[in-house]
Amino acid sequence: MGTLDFLINGFSVALQWHNLLFAFFGVLIGTAVGVLPGIGPMSGVALLIPISSTLTGGLGAEDAAVSSIILLAGVYYGAMYGGSTTSILLNTPGESSSVMTTLDGYQMAKQGRAGAALAISAIGSFIAGLFSLVGLILLAQPLSEIALRFGPPEYFSLMLLGLAAVSGLAGKSMTKALIMTVFGLLLATIGMDNVSGVARFTYDIPVLYNGLEFLTVSVGLFALGEVFKTILHKEANEGTIAKITRIIPTKQDMKDSAGPIARGSLLGFFLGVLPGAGATLASFFSYVMEKKISKNPEKFGKGAIEGVASPETANNAAAGGAMIPLLTLGIPGSGTTAILMGAFIMFNIQPGPLLFEEHPQVAWGLIASMFVGNVMLLILNLPLVRIFAQIIATPPKYLIPLIVAFSVFGVYAVQVTTFDLVLLLACGVVGYFLASNDFPLPPLVLGLVLGPMIENNMRRALTASNGDYMIFLQKPVSAVFLIASLLWLVIPLVLKWKGKKVDITESM
Amino acid sequence: MNKTFDRYASIAFLAIGILFIIESRKITASAYGSEVGPNIFPLGLGLVLVVLSLRLLYETFKYQQTEKRRSSLDYKRFGIIFVAAFVYCYFLEDIGYVLSTFLFLLIGFQTMQQGKIWSSILISGGFSFGVYYLFVEVLKGSLPGLPTWLGLS
Repeated sequence: MGTLDFLINGFSVALQWHNLLFAFFGVLIGTAVGVLPGIGPMSGVALLIPISSTLTGGLGAEDAAVSSIILLAGVYYGAMYGGSTTSILLNTPGESSSVMTTLDGYQMAKQGRAGAALAISAIGSFIAGLFSLVGLILLAQPLSEIALRFGPPEYFSLMLLGLAAVSGLAGKSMTKALIMTVFGLLLATIGMDNVSGVARFTYDIPVLYNGLEFLTVSVGLFALGEVFKTILHKEANEGTIAKITRIIPTKQDMKDSAGPIARGSLLGFFLGVLPGAGATLASFFSYVMEKKISKNPEKFGKGAIEGVASPETANNAAAGGAMIPLLTLGIPGSGTTAILMGAFIMFNIQPGPLLFEEHPQVAWGLIASMFVGNVMLLILNLPLVRIFAQIIATPPKYLIPLIVAFSVFGVYAVQVTTFDLVLLLACGVVGYFLASNDFPLPPLVLGLVLGPMIENNMRRALTASNGDYMIFLQKPVSAVFLIASLLWLVIPLVLKWKGKKVDITESM
Repeated sequence: MNKTFDRYASIAFLAIGILFIIESRKITASAYGSEVGPNIFPLGLGLVLVVLSLRLLYETFKYQQTEKRRSSLDYKRFGIIFVAAFVYCYFLEDIGYVLSTFLFLLIGFQTMQQGKIWSSILISGGFSFGVYYLFVEVLKGSLPGLPTWLGLS
């Protein structure tokens, strides 16, 4: 069967009525998550894992996985759409990847062109979504075929590269990012060792034998961490919401944004495929690039539609591109994809090169549903943008306690232990303190998800080489990955010494 | 950057690293069918964590404390909600989902902002009953119901 047959097959999965429903709810909730300032895509996806697993409880194992992943992926790219709304209307980005949108988006809103700005970011996001999906379809098969030839040493080094990339770019201090990565990897060693069956760091406490559940840790770190921050800092939405008048952009607007959308899609997609870079960086670079090549750069920052089109396109393209390493190599390149990967594993489906062979339903169903979801988002966002703008006005008085209650429900529904609830609260406090002191959290989650796989591959490689650590350098592909990960960590340091500041705030 | 926090954090991570090193030495070093025992990975990571936290400790002595932004944090509100959440989690299984969630939400809403007691009661009740009904009755999940000593069930 060729790619096209698989894709048609995928559509037949995605167009089943319950999957349409899941995709719809996914993008709807995702948009809401993107609009609400308190929750970002990471906490949104983490919070919905338990819900999706209960909703799909009645289906067979593989069907349940497809439907849940469709829902969660919908939340992920829906949040990318929704994030622009608050940036434009309120000058407060809903998540870090739409920070650049505030520069011109809010200015446009002040000039009464909020509708056009919102529409162009929806259109740009739609085109970017389609573009990255085509890329995903074209690259999926060849990439997973290459990855199938990888043995344990290559995999080990590739995963190290993924970790190095994310730590090298996350947060202000690389030392802190690396500490978080190693800490995540260490937490992953708690529990039963699945190679030898030896219990590690469990101290005869029964709940620890299964290890720390990734779901509990990530909901705690991201969702509760954010909530605690909002409570402590008395954050409130001040300022008035700009009025939305005309939604359809003018012909001139469309003409001006065609170029930025095309370039943003391309740039965002490739930055998304690279591990670690992600949507925040993509939106930043594409904005800077548009400003550089523009004939009249002084327009930027004063309500240029190009300044809205390019970052919004790029962050969606990056979100799509980030799915490629996750699906084909089994290596998440960002915090959100790490959480998605955790969801895959929860459903007993291992993302990676074998995904397309063993679970074509899941892989192609997901890809097809992303097409469907993007169309739904465009339809939802253009006429309903006024309604979504109303969500911003949800009083934090109700929102904050409800998020806590929702987290507790979600964790308890899946884990059914009081221990996990206490762990959840503890992770919330730790997450708040770490995040507010520039310790980036995504590397921690990445370490926690990848930890067991890195260890297994390392031990399998070492078993094959009779304990000789040089095997990682003797295999050429593995050596290249190791050198690349070293460079990823060293180059920012060199740039810093040269006085250039590499400062990327916590990426999605 | 907050120098004090970074210093404490680096010491805490140093301690965690040392703990993992010491404890991983107690794990058996051999495993059937595997050249490397289950102790190597945590041992190595513990060492890396020690090195990294020493590096962070060293960094805290190097950089100057930047601005001292002590925006007043709302510890009282946080304290009440956190204690309420802890009690909620701890006694969830004893007093049942509906009752505990209702009480937690009510306290939460009123702590966030006092007043509008009726809408608070309505939303808390709606959420706790709604979630319980949907999850237990419709989706056939399992949550601790109403406490038995109420004699209702």
